This record gives sequence, C-alpha cells and structure tokens, in this order.
Amino acid sequence: MTERAGSRLERVLAAGHFAVTVEVGPPRGPNAAAVRRKAELLSGVADAYNVTDNQTAVVRMSSIAGARLLLEAGLEPVMQMTVRDRNRIALQSDLLGASALGIKNCLCLSGDHQQASASGKLNGHPGAKHVYDVDSIQLLAILKGLGEQVQESGDPIAEPARFFIGAAWSPLAPPEAFRVLRLAKKVAAGADFIQTQAVYDVPRFAAQVAKAREMGLCDQIAILAGIIVPRSARMLQYLNEKVPGVEVPEELIRRLRAAVNPASEGKMIAQELIEAVRVIPGIRGVHLQAIENEEVLPEIISAAELLPRPVLNIGA
Amino acid sequence: MTREDLQSGFKPEIILLYCRRCVEEEADLFIAAKATSRFAAKLVMMPCTSKVEESHLLKLLAEGADGVQVVGCPYQQCQRLLGNLQAERRIEHARGYLREIGLGAERLGMERGLHFSGLQLLLLAEKRAHAVRPLGPNPMKGERIP
Amino acid sequence: MIIAEWKPLSELTAKLRGHKKILLVGCATCVAECAAGGEKEVETLAPLLRMALHKEGHPAEVVTRTLERQCEWEFVEELAPLIPQVDAVLSIACGIGIQAVAERYSEVPVYPGVNTTALAIREEPGLWLARCQACGDCGLGETFGICPVARCAKSLQNGPCGGTRKDGKCEVDENLECVWYQIVKRAEARGQLDKLLEFRPAKNWSNSLHGGPKRVLREDLRP
Repeated sequence: MTERAGSRLERVLAAGHFAVTVEVGPPRGPNAAAVRRKAELLSGVADAYNVTDNQTAVVRMSSIAGARLLLEAGLEPVMQMTVRDRNRIALQSDLLGASALGIKNCLCLSGDHQQASASGKLNGHPGAKHVYDVDSIQLLAILKGLGEQVQESGDPIAEPARFFIGAAWSPLAPPEAFRVLRLAKKVAAGADFIQTQAVYDVPRFAAQVAKAREMGLCDQIAILAGIIVPRSARMLQYLNEKVPGVEVPEELIRRLRAAVNPASEGKMIAQELIEAVRVIPGIRGVHLQAIENEEVLPEIISAAELLPRPVLNIGA
Repeated sequence: MTREDLQSGFKPEIILLYCRRCVEEEADLFIAAKATSRFAAKLVMMPCTSKVEESHLLKLLAEGADGVQVVGCPYQQCQRLLGNLQAERRIEHARGYLREIGLGAERLGMERGLHFSGLQLLLLAEKRAHAVRPLGPNPMKGERIP
Repeated sequence: MIIAEWKPLSELTAKLRGHKKILLVGCATCVAECAAGGEKEVETLAPLLRMALHKEGHPAEVVTRTLERQCEWEFVEELAPLIPQVDAVLSIACGIGIQAVAERYSEVPVYPGVNTTALAIREEPGLWLARCQACGDCGLGETFGICPVARCAKSLQNGPCGGTRKDGKCEVDENLECVWYQIVKRAEARGQLDKLLEFRPAKNWSNSLHGGPKRVLREDLRP
C-alpha cells in the first residue's frame, strides 16, 4: 500500500506494531499551557494523541489549535473533526490549514448533537444551529479527495493535502447487522484507520470484528479498539445504560463494586481489556481514554507491556 | 366563610355544567334558582360532558363567572365511552392556562357522580364557590375597555 | 401538513399590550389539523387573551375570524371590512398565512401567535411527527421511503451515527425512533440491506433555502 500521509501513526501500523493512541481533550479556555502540561504528562506513552473537536458540543479550544500545540510539544496529534459545526467550505478550508500546520492524522466524526451540551452542569449551546451539510462518511470522501488534489466540487488544488484518515466505529450499537456494512462504507469512502467505541464486552466485539474480517475489511483498514479506563461501578453502569453502543457485562460492574480500591481495580480492568483485544485477529492497536484522569494512562500502558513505543526514522 | 368575605360581600357566581345522565329523573332543578346568601349558581344541562370545549369554559370565565363546575358521570360509565375522560383532560389543559395567566386554576373544576338531586348539584356548585373564594371576584366582572 | 405551536401567552400579551381592539385570525387548513390555529383554537385563545390582558392592566376587545386558507389571497381578502375597525392583528396561521395578512394589510401591525415548526404527519391523536424538511433534493427512493433529512437529528445520509439506543431510539430524544434504525429494518424486511451499502455523496442543497429563497415559475400557468 502506498503511503497516505506519512504520519507516525501510519508508519507504526505499516511496520506491524500494535499501535497506541490516547485522547487529549483541549481546555475550555485559551490556555496553551494546559495543553502543554497534558503533553508533558503523556509524552512517550502513545504513537498519536487524539485532540477532540468540541466533544459533547461544549465549546473548547479548537482541535486544530490543540493539535498544533501538541506538534510543538513533540507529540503527534490525531485531529478530530466533526461535521456538526462546519459546512463543506469550512471543513475543507480548515483541513488545508491543518495540513499546512503539519497535522497529518484526522478522525472524521458526526459529532455529538448540540442538545448534549446542556446535559451536564453547563448551559451549553442547545439553541445553536447545527450544520450537517455532509455526514462523517462524506467527510472521509472529502479528505480522500484533498489527498488527490481535488475538492469536493471537483475543483483542483495545486498541492495535495494528505491525511492519514480515521473514522469511528460503534460495532455494538443497534442495528447491529448494519454496523459492519457501515464500516465497509467507511473503508470504501477512504478511511485508513478506525478507532472504536469503548469495548467492555470482548466476545461480542470480537464477533463483529470477525464479520469485518470475513468481508476482507481488516486487510484494508487498521482497527484500534477503544478502551475507556473505568473508575467506579457507577461509571460503568452509566456507560452501559446511557451511552449507546457501550455494552458492559454485569460481572465487570459487580467486580468494580466489590473492589476495595475501585480506581486501581479499574486500571487492572483496562489492562486486561488491552490484553484481550490484542489477541483478536484484525485488531491492530488500542485507543485509550481516561476521562479527566489522563495521569493514569502511562501506568496502564506500561503494565500492558506496550512501552516503550517504537522509535521510527520519521524523516526517511 | 370568613368574616372578611361576609364584609366584602363577595358572593361567587358559579356556573354548573352537568351531564343530563348525572341527575335523578325527578330532580328539582329549580332549587338552584333559590337565592342563597353565600353564592349564586346557574345550572346548565348538557347531553354529555364530552361536548365541553375549552373555549366554552374560558368564555364563561372571560364573561365574568367566578367559577365553573363541570359535573360528569363516574369513570367508565360515560354513555360515550371516553367522553367524560376527554372532558377531564380538556379541563386540566384549560386549568393550565388559567394558572399561566394568573387567574387561578381553581376557578375551574370537575366532579363526578350519578343520580344527583337538585340539592346535591347545588352543593357541588357551592364546593366550587368555596374553592374560588380565596381568589376573590373574577377581575373580568364588568370589564370595560377604555 | 404544516404544523405550528402556540407561543407562550406572556409573549403574546407583551406584544399586544396597549392595543384596544385586536383581530385574532386563524386558518382552517393545516394549523387546524394540528390543533394550533383553527376555529377551535381561535375561540379558545380569544377569551384567554382577554383575561390575560385585563389581568395585566391592558384590557382589550378581541374579535375573531377563521379563514378557510390564510395562505391564499382570495380568502385573505375577507378580512378587508374588519381591518379598519381594529388596531392590531394576531394571526395563528403558519408563517405563510401570517405574512399574507401582513402584506395585504400593511397598515396594521400583524403579530404571530404561533411558532411554525415543521412539515409533519398526525401520527395518532395528539401526536405529530416531522416528516419532510423541503430540502429540494428528495432521496426517499434510496432510503426505503423514510426521510433521514427531516427525521435524523443530524440529517445523516449514509446510515446511523453511534447514538442509536438499545431500544432503537435516538440518543438526542428518547421518545423518537432512530430513523436509520427504521430504514435498516425496512431494508432488512425487503431483503435489500445491501442497497444501503451504496455511498451517497454530499447532497445538493441549492434547490432549497440554501440556494436562495425559493421561487417557482411555470410559464404555462401564467395569466
């Protein structure tokens, strides 16, 4: 396969390594130092770092700026981009700008609906007008086009804007029969890698991955299994009941409830999940999230024997 | 009734809309016309409470009635099956508006039963009069637009 | 039908305060079907307005009229004798009807009494659900007769986002079906799930508002 963007993440995967990505949420203010602090904390533990794009529709520092700050700190970003807030003109303009700033990975998402912004303690912006000019799969096609020097409309561009193109996959969300087909659509539209919804029910997840493998999708795309580090039984219960596509086996919730120290038991669970998804044929890495709790990640990644991360000769 | 009400001379005017199936055949409905010192009642017969529209109820209040009492059949005994339930929903909906504009939801209500005598109907009207008394006279009474 | 909903009464009285004689005008077509602006609603709102305005210290007379269709000039004309007698109009027709009255009788202030919200169907008594967004690029033939533009919270074109709940409802509103869940079920029932594999490219929105306010001209029908 010819190289798409030459990002570190792309090369780690191409070299056959089991990839590790983690998530870095930008601050709700203009604080560059906050991004740098997180970068320092997580430096060296992952191959690439996802920078979220106004997740839960709460206004935060832009993912482009956050991604650029990570680059300056020596980390490779995966810039997340949702189709909620920008039409195809703004999306392409931002992608050209991101490319000019040296950003090489982009994860294409539908984005949380703006109603979600008011679900927590904040007012959010539930009265905002959303855009959804294109959907996340159409955005994949747009990125593919920009890499081939053509805009969505067909207009040419002077130089290609090359990205290693990512997409999300929620294999256990209903309608389950369609989820593998939707993955196939994402592959066909141009996705190079996948980061999945959080996995807790490994056998059910593995069954969906097996279906993708049968369709030949795993040869065309690198799937990174999503893992959210659990902190308490209540958190798992919440994820199970309230977050579509997240299926948590009852025994995991019971185990965390019975634990003397739920936080350390949660880290243990995360480590076990990494080990369990690692042996599923077709899984090429993990995408780790520790929501508002990033400091636990180095320890978990180390315990899963995924450190040090491979050193690549990027300039080559 | 408090001494103040007596002194203010507030004599609530209640309009009682009743389903004809709720009253006993021999009911003396002229009883309502008999003046009481505490409230005035006007009785209006309907074929079924399902015929009550929100607009009717609100219009009666806009014309100055202090309270409107609807009397319907017991649950599951409506001749039109769900007519009295529909009436209840409409009344509840209209009460919401009365609350919203600050006129007082208690000006409107519903009672249920069968075989009421004329005197019993009058007591139901008095029940509504009692509920509206704390609200005072309907401000729409004698409305004059400058 | 076009559906609308009453504005809060406090918003109406805030606009109508100071007017002495108000014409409340409804429409017997769509907004009557959706129980927002038909004769019944006109006759309900009129006494409410009178009471609310009186309570706020601004009593006013409210006269009522319900037109057959407030979006057609012939019917709008029926208000002509009433307009000189009133100092404001409150219309509870859809936005089209309100504008028709405001245009024909530009000498009086015309206020909206409703918010026009959607093109919808009466699913069952007391429940209306959006069905069409007038996007100008109908793709119902590809989505098994179910519109994701109007019925998906994100107007997605290529399948459901990750927000489909376990029971097939939408993550944005637990009372609403995930419309892509419905499309997939219908495709499965027809044994045509593979049809949904086809990539649907970015839509052309230019035949709707996005291409500028809509104008349809048919020379064959011109006077």
